Amino acid sequence: MTIRRITLLVLAVTFWAVMAAAQNLAVPTDATAGQAVSIPTSGSGSATLYVYGPGTAIKRAVELGQPIQIEGDQLKKSGRYTVILRGGQDVAGSFFVAPAKLENLAFLARPSRVPASRTGAVTGSAYVFDAYNNLVLEKYPVKFELSVEGAPATSRTEDSKNGVAWVRLDSGKKAGAAQFVASAGDASVKRIVQQTASDPCNIRMKAQPAKNGNILVETDPIRDCAGNPVPDGTIVTFISTDQNGRSTVDARIKRGFAQAELPPSDNATLSVAAGVVLGNEIHWGGR
Amino acid sequence: MRDRMGWFLVTVGLLIVVVVLGLPNSLFGAAPPKSPDVRLDISKAAPRDVEEQTEQSIVRDYGKAWQTLEQSLEENRPDLLSANFAGYALDRWGQTVKAQNASGLSRRIVDHGHHLEVAFYSVDGSAMQLRDTAQLEVQYLDKGKVIHNETMTARYMVLMTPAESSWKVRILQEIAPETPKQATLNSVSGEGTGSK
Repeated sequence: MTIRRITLLVLAVTFWAVMAAAQNLAVPTDATAGQAVSIPTSGSGSATLYVYGPGTAIKRAVELGQPIQIEGDQLKKSGRYTVILRGGQDVAGSFFVAPAKLENLAFLARPSRVPASRTGAVTGSAYVFDAYNNLVLEKYPVKFELSVEGAPATSRTEDSKNGVAWVRLDSGKKAGAAQFVASAGDASVKRIVQQTASDPCNIRMKAQPAKNGNILVETDPIRDCAGNPVPDGTIVTFISTDQNGRSTVDARIKRGFAQAELPPSDNATLSVAAGVVLGNEIHWGGR
Repeated sequence: MRDRMGWFLVTVGLLIVVVVLGLPNSLFGAAPPKSPDVRLDISKAAPRDVEEQTEQSIVRDYGKAWQTLEQSLEENRPDLLSANFAGYALDRWGQTVKAQNASGLSRRIVDHGHHLEVAFYSVDGSAMQLRDTAQLEVQYLDKGKVIHNETMTARYMVLMTPAESSWKVRILQEIAPETPKQATLNSVSGEGTGSK
């Protein structure tokens, strides 16, 4: 191969590289959702512009040599936008639109009803969005706060990662409608978590003869260990054991306490339970 | 006479076979579009582990979602999307298809597969966030004519939530390719958010 041929080859490759470079559009490198962009063009005459993006598909005539303006309301969705120019020259390029700043939160809180004083029982996941519902991937501190009126609040701040922040909290000691709030920047979302009393703490009952000869048993007001009244409707079981065997009566808590009548006996052991919690025992009659 | 009849029947039979084989496939009804290849990596799932059945459901339903999206973008039919998309993803892609329809444009995607990684699976199992690296060939069409085509490795941030009998895509958002600097930063701060 002669020097002349090599020179020609190098020139041809250089020319091809320059032409190839000229075929690319100078697309934006730092576009943000909702903000207009401008793309310069070269040459003269008219061409057809195509823009394919998320939420957008544009076809319109443009003048070469003039910058192409794409308005912010056509760039609301973050992601890849492909720009194609067909006419005097056929060129194409892609650019990415990043999410705008945090504006909204989506907050999922579970469960909606939880016993008080339960470790790690309440979970919340917050998703960070901009004004155009793009997930914001930039890190933001998200504050989670769980509070019920008349008791100190529990709060924790977690940084979002890939647009998500989550937390797991203990339920509060006090029963009631707890407010579970997630907040980041100016955005704040509230959910209600109903905290109910836990299992009864101590069950105390007393017994007395009923008018019909039975044994009338009645508990004191039943509360959990934090002092919250156990909800009405909770089942309490009264048991009488004597020489004839065992009698059991289930009663529901009504207005804070439970009562029942057990069959008459001269010598019986009376006991009370609710769930896994046992109350006091009473020895009835005997010598 | 019998020989002639025999030859006649054989000839007619052959003719029928040739005609039937020569008919375009479309006359036999279009074959249903095939779901793309989806691989799922659950090794980084946190704070909850992914159950085997959930893993299978995600692979199946994410594949179906892409199949639907591709058909919807090519045929400009937003009505298809609601079977596999919900919330913001349904809005985003529904709006895309409507915009295409209004401009006489469409997109054809030749899907070469997806590699999904679970990034977050909520404690209560109500949401799963995934990262998808997809190998795609996109043909851009104007009134059915290809005007440009592009082969790409696209990265998506995905959020899926369980519906009655399947998982639906709630967020499907393409993200810019990672620069080497970002990749290093992410691997350094790769621990999950949240606390117990």
